[in-house]
Amino acid sequence: MANLKEIRNRITSVNSTMQITSAMKMVSAAKLKRAQDAITQMKPYAEKLQEILTNLSSSLDASENEYAQEREVKNVLIVGVTSNRGLCGGFNNNVVKKIKTLVASEYKNCNISVLPVGKKINDALKYTTWESASSELYEHPEEIWNDLTFVNGSKMADSLMQAYKRGQYDQIVVVYNSFINAASQIVKNEQFLPVQVPEQTEDSNTIDYVYDPSKKEIVKDLIPNSLRIRLYKALLDSHASEHGARMTAMHQATDNATDLKKDLQLTYNKARQAAITSEILEIVGGAEALAN
Amino acid sequence: MNIEIITPDKNLFKGTADSIVVPGTSGLIGILNDHAPFITTLQKGQVVVTTSKGEQTFDVKSGVVEVLNNNVIVLAG
Repeated sequence: MANLKEIRNRITSVNSTMQITSAMKMVSAAKLKRAQDAITQMKPYAEKLQEILTNLSSSLDASENEYAQEREVKNVLIVGVTSNRGLCGGFNNNVVKKIKTLVASEYKNCNISVLPVGKKINDALKYTTWESASSELYEHPEEIWNDLTFVNGSKMADSLMQAYKRGQYDQIVVVYNSFINAASQIVKNEQFLPVQVPEQTEDSNTIDYVYDPSKKEIVKDLIPNSLRIRLYKALLDSHASEHGARMTAMHQATDNATDLKKDLQLTYNKARQAAITSEILEIVGGAEALAN
Repeated sequence: MNIEIITPDKNLFKGTADSIVVPGTSGLIGILNDHAPFITTLQKGQVVVTTSKGEQTFDVKSGVVEVLNNNVIVLAG
């Protein structure tokens, strides 16, 4: 049986690890709350914008727009959204895996570039042949997590739109963790450009609006805006997912540490009891020997 | 009429007001009660809301305004 001091040391170290993981869990829970609030805040905006856009494009052919032109797909840009920090389970790995499957299946014969959002995907890029697009498109995309606002998200979306307009890429895909709830995230790949024109519904155009300027101008103005919102939504989703994933991972770690501590405590008590028993036996044996 | 000014990051204004002036792409547009259904895009400028308590201004860079049944929604960018 391991000696008492050794077990005591292990109990202390498991205990302090447990304190760290449970603190990290609480921090993540607080950050998750804020990230979720940001999503809730953005939702009405996104919905209203989509509603107006659908309304407009039902009476107008939006596929003429410069962002809606389907081209033969040769150069593909994949925006991989990961976090800057680890300790969040399979969160980052899932994104990298998803990109790998996409590259191996859908974009088999294309030139692949990746815009690495988040430090973690940067690490993964070192082991692949994909080109990183961060230097020419958007410097230090990982810094967006320091200050995630619509303005910063728009800058990134704008640079993507510019690159598409220049013909640098024929398709741009965003791969990110979409937020379902704190315990589950689903990796999604969403086509960013070319824009898929919203489905036309029959009863969407019942209101007779006055438009100023013309419908065409408004649609031209709104499509970039809705693209910015889409990228921002993906970023917000990923942000919330990150904290959700970390919260779950840390919860799991705390649980494991509790189990481990319980086991160790039991071993410690047994060892202690055994030591006492043998000591008593020795004393009794010694006393008996004297009595004889 | 009810006015809502929202950005993707926060709600700037929500409540009833007497009038609102927005910087439309083709010039300043004032909207009063019972305006016809109307959609316009915005350019850089100031949105001025006049309530019974006074005037409030908000800076916008871009956006879109929808007016419908005395509900004005400003999606500011």
